[in-house]
Order: sequence, then C-alpha cells, then structure tokens
Amino acid sequence: MNATVQATEMSPLRRVAGYVAEFRIIPRIETFPRVVSFAQTALGRITVLVVFGLGLRFFFPDLLSALSLTFLLALMTFMPENRHFILAVAPIVIVVRQTFQDPLFLGLNLAVIALGVLLYWCVMRWPQSRFGQRPILFLLTGFTVLILMAGAAKPHSLSYSIAWDLVGFMAGYIWFIGYALLDRSSKPKRDLILELASFRPLWGSTNTPFPKGAAYLRRIEAQNPEQLAIVQLKGLKLLAWAILLALLQSAWINFFHGYLRIPTAVEALNMSVRGTPVAWHLRWESLILAFIELVLSISIMGHRFIASCRVAGFNALRNTYRPLFSITIAEFFNRFYYYFKELLVDLFFYPAFLRYWKKHRRLRLAFATFAAAFVGNGFYHFTRDWQIIRDIGPWRAMLNYQTTFFCNAALTTGLCVSQLRNRRPRPAGLFRGKIIPVFGVCSFYCFLSVFQISERMYPLVEHLRFLASLFFVHF
Amino acid sequence: MKGISEIHEFVQELLTNSGDYQPLADQDSLLLSGRLQSIDAVEIVVFLEENFGIDFAQIGFDREQIDTIDLIFSLTQTAGAGAEGSLPQ
Repeated sequence: MNATVQATEMSPLRRVAGYVAEFRIIPRIETFPRVVSFAQTALGRITVLVVFGLGLRFFFPDLLSALSLTFLLALMTFMPENRHFILAVAPIVIVVRQTFQDPLFLGLNLAVIALGVLLYWCVMRWPQSRFGQRPILFLLTGFTVLILMAGAAKPHSLSYSIAWDLVGFMAGYIWFIGYALLDRSSKPKRDLILELASFRPLWGSTNTPFPKGAAYLRRIEAQNPEQLAIVQLKGLKLLAWAILLALLQSAWINFFHGYLRIPTAVEALNMSVRGTPVAWHLRWESLILAFIELVLSISIMGHRFIASCRVAGFNALRNTYRPLFSITIAEFFNRFYYYFKELLVDLFFYPAFLRYWKKHRRLRLAFATFAAAFVGNGFYHFTRDWQIIRDIGPWRAMLNYQTTFFCNAALTTGLCVSQLRNRRPRPAGLFRGKIIPVFGVCSFYCFLSVFQISERMYPLVEHLRFLASLFFVHF
Repeated sequence: MKGISEIHEFVQELLTNSGDYQPLADQDSLLLSGRLQSIDAVEIVVFLEENFGIDFAQIGFDREQIDTIDLIFSLTQTAGAGAEGSLPQ
C-alpha cells in the first residue's frame, strides 16, 4: 500500500491531527532543498547574515555591537578555514578593548586566560599525574583556596583589591577552564586554538559555557558548505523564535502585571514578609506567572546564544526545548537549561558515578546525583555570587545561602526519585501517561521556584511561610 | 559479529523507553544528536561495566566513545576484557 492510498484512506480527524503535529510557526526552511542551495551561494550567505544581523539588533542595545558580531560571523562564513582562529582571537580583542584603560583589570583578565591555557597544557602533558587524573577536583580546590585567601586579605588594601578582582575573573572563567581540562579524554586531542575559542565564546554565555567546551565544538562543526548552510538556517530560525518569545514575554508582563495588576512573585513575597500579604489567589497567580516567566527568560537567553553559535557554523543543541512537556523531574531539568545540566553532569555527575559505589546501583546513582545537583549546583551559584562572599565574608555568606541550599536539597531529592523511578515502565494513555505527569512535574518546579524568589534577601523560614500560606497554613 | 547485536538490542530498548521509535542504524549518533540523554549514557556505562568489564574510571570517559553502536562495539574490543560470553543470551 503506497503513501497516496494511505492518505486518501485517512480519516479527516487523523489528517487534522497530523497537520497539527506537523505545523510549525516558523517553517523548517533548512529542509527545503532550494533554500539550502540558495544559502550556499554568496548572495544567499549575505542574505542570511543581513537578516540575522537585523534580528540581533532586536537584542543589542546599540547598533555597533550587533554590527560587530554580524561582521565576525560573516568572516567565519566566508573564511571557514579561519573559523577557529577568529573565534579564539576575537574574545581576547574584545577583552583588551573593554579593559585597556584599566591595566590591572586587563592584566588580571589575561592572566586568568593564560592560567587556563597553562592548566590545559599541564593536563595534556602529564595525564597520569595526580592533577591529570583529577583536574576538576584540583581546579575547584584551588579556586576555593583563592577565595579564602582573598577573604583573609586586609580590607581596602591593594592585595585585597587584586585578590578579589582575580576571584571575579576566575569565577567568570572557571567552568570554561573546567571543560578544557576535561578534554584530556577526548579525541582528537590538542587543539589549543579551539580551546581558547571556547573560553567565553564570541556568541556570548553566562558563567555556564554555551555550548560546552572545545571537544563538543569540534564534533558539531559544519564540515562542508551544505552543512554550513543548514546550520545557519537553523540559527536564523532559532533567533526568530527567540524574538517571538521576547515579544510574547513583553506582552505577557504588560498584560498580567500591568493591565491585570497581578503582583510579581518578588512583590508578593515582600508583602508576605512585611506581614501584609496579598490575597490568596494573587499569591498563587504571582507564583505561576513567575515560573512561566522564568522559563520564557531562560529560553530567550539560550536561544539567542545558540542561534549565533549556529550561524558561526556549530550545530549546537538548543539550551531550552519544550520543558513544559516534560513527564519526569529529570527530563525537565534536562530540557530547561540544558548546558547548565550538562556542566553538572560532565564535571560532577560522571566523575562521581564512575568512581564511587560501583557495586550499589541505586546508591551510586543517588550519590552521583547528589554530587551534581547539590554539591556542583551549590558551588556554582555560591561562587558565581562572589561579591556577597567579599562583602559579608565566607561564613556569613554560607548562612545567607540557606534558602538556595534548601532548594538544591529539594531538587536533588526530586531528581534522585525521578531517576530511580525512570527504570519502571511508564503508564500508557494520554491522561495517566502524559497529562498527570506533566502537571506533577510543573507543580514541583513551580513550588521549587518559591525558593528562588529573592533567595539572598530573606531567610528560609520566610520562603517556607509563603509556600505554606498557599495552602492556608500559617505559622 | 557477536556482541554488536546485543548492544544494538540494548540501545534500541533505551530508545524505546524514551519514546523514540525511529529506525536505528549502527552508525547513528545517540548522545550528541540528543536521541539519548545523560541518564541513558549512565545505563550504557553500567551495561559495559557489567558485561564487558570496562572500567571508565581507569580509561577515562568521554561520551563520544559511546555515541554510536559501532563506537560502543569498538570500545568493547579495545578496552574491554573481551567477555562476550558474559553477555545475557
């Protein structure tokens, strides 16, 4: 039976369902042969770059930044053989341009980059040494020692300024260096230029490397003009999607917080702490809105970075992909902020999983999850906010961090349970197999987001009070 | 080729469990393409440890090593103890 016969025999309802399933707001232009052929021509490349540059302008406050990035993307498009070199040199040039008026800043920034290169060289040179075997452990221990030393320096002295500036730069680069050190196991090894390119890459990133390190970049790089055209079209689509989401976000905020005057979650928590809580239904509404707004803002941010990365010629996976359709807690964690999850998995989960509790499968999985979601996650956020450690000292900063510790503990428990339950067969049917799990997962992360509202401003008990008040429990 | 069919079957089961019913070739990317997730990589690691005696803590772990069925199979040939007989039949 051929496809035509099947199509004519299909019921109208199925046809509609099929059409809905295949429907895309942004057409899959990378699958249209004529478009792909055109995108390989000089005119086609220029068209893609111009449209992309116009799209970038939506996100950049000034024209010059959008033009600079588009120009560099154009260089990589027309000179793909120099892609690694451009990617490696451009961020350093940007650093020099931004900090050349402050020699100390410039020197420290370049010193941190040089340290990353030195550590990479050491791990490649002596793979069997203690450092070569456990580079991430050494790196994070060294960073912790640096923070403690900076904390011990006499306030407002020169050494104090230098030490904390160094901590600041290290905090910005530590996870990029971490990925470079992990490359000791990848094949082919030794590509210093690409390692440099992956240190705070051109297309932007948070402290989380987008998209991971040099080894990953090497694997996803377009190898011929056709691949480049396809990946650039995918980048263009992703940027268009990011713009649509940003417009939706703006309309959403104006409608719910402006027109309907529903307080933000921060405002609702503030009122609760002051003893004048907003109405019960408004607390619920503010929390649900905050959760959806968080998903939207993470999506927009990640899409923007990955779109530029794709136009540079690297077919990276999206950072956020349909998290609200997740049917397990672990799946949501994977789909919500993919590259942060990958960071925790690569630097904490796998090292713990491969070394400890090998004879106890459940304990092994739970321990590795704890290493990633509690220890790694905690370390990442604690050191990311290094200014707080500087201002109030490491021990008080730990106390100040209690809400996030609690949040991480709850997340770790949820992930452990989710991963251990993942081994069981899933219930079938739309309601039991899809709707109930999706509702459960979204509820879990929505409640968890209570502990991410002004988490450094109020103690844990205020967040617990706010959460309990949603269920008419007051203490 | 003995061994590769068991690996294929195991990977196919992982894909089916995650709702992926697409055809699977031995050269298809599993992890880098996003078809399988990190937790599935863990399942593959345990499978290789238990059935082929591979110790990733010793040889170093990189997800690219287990990205396709062909790569997994060649890993079992080079790094494993060659314990094909211990595979579940």
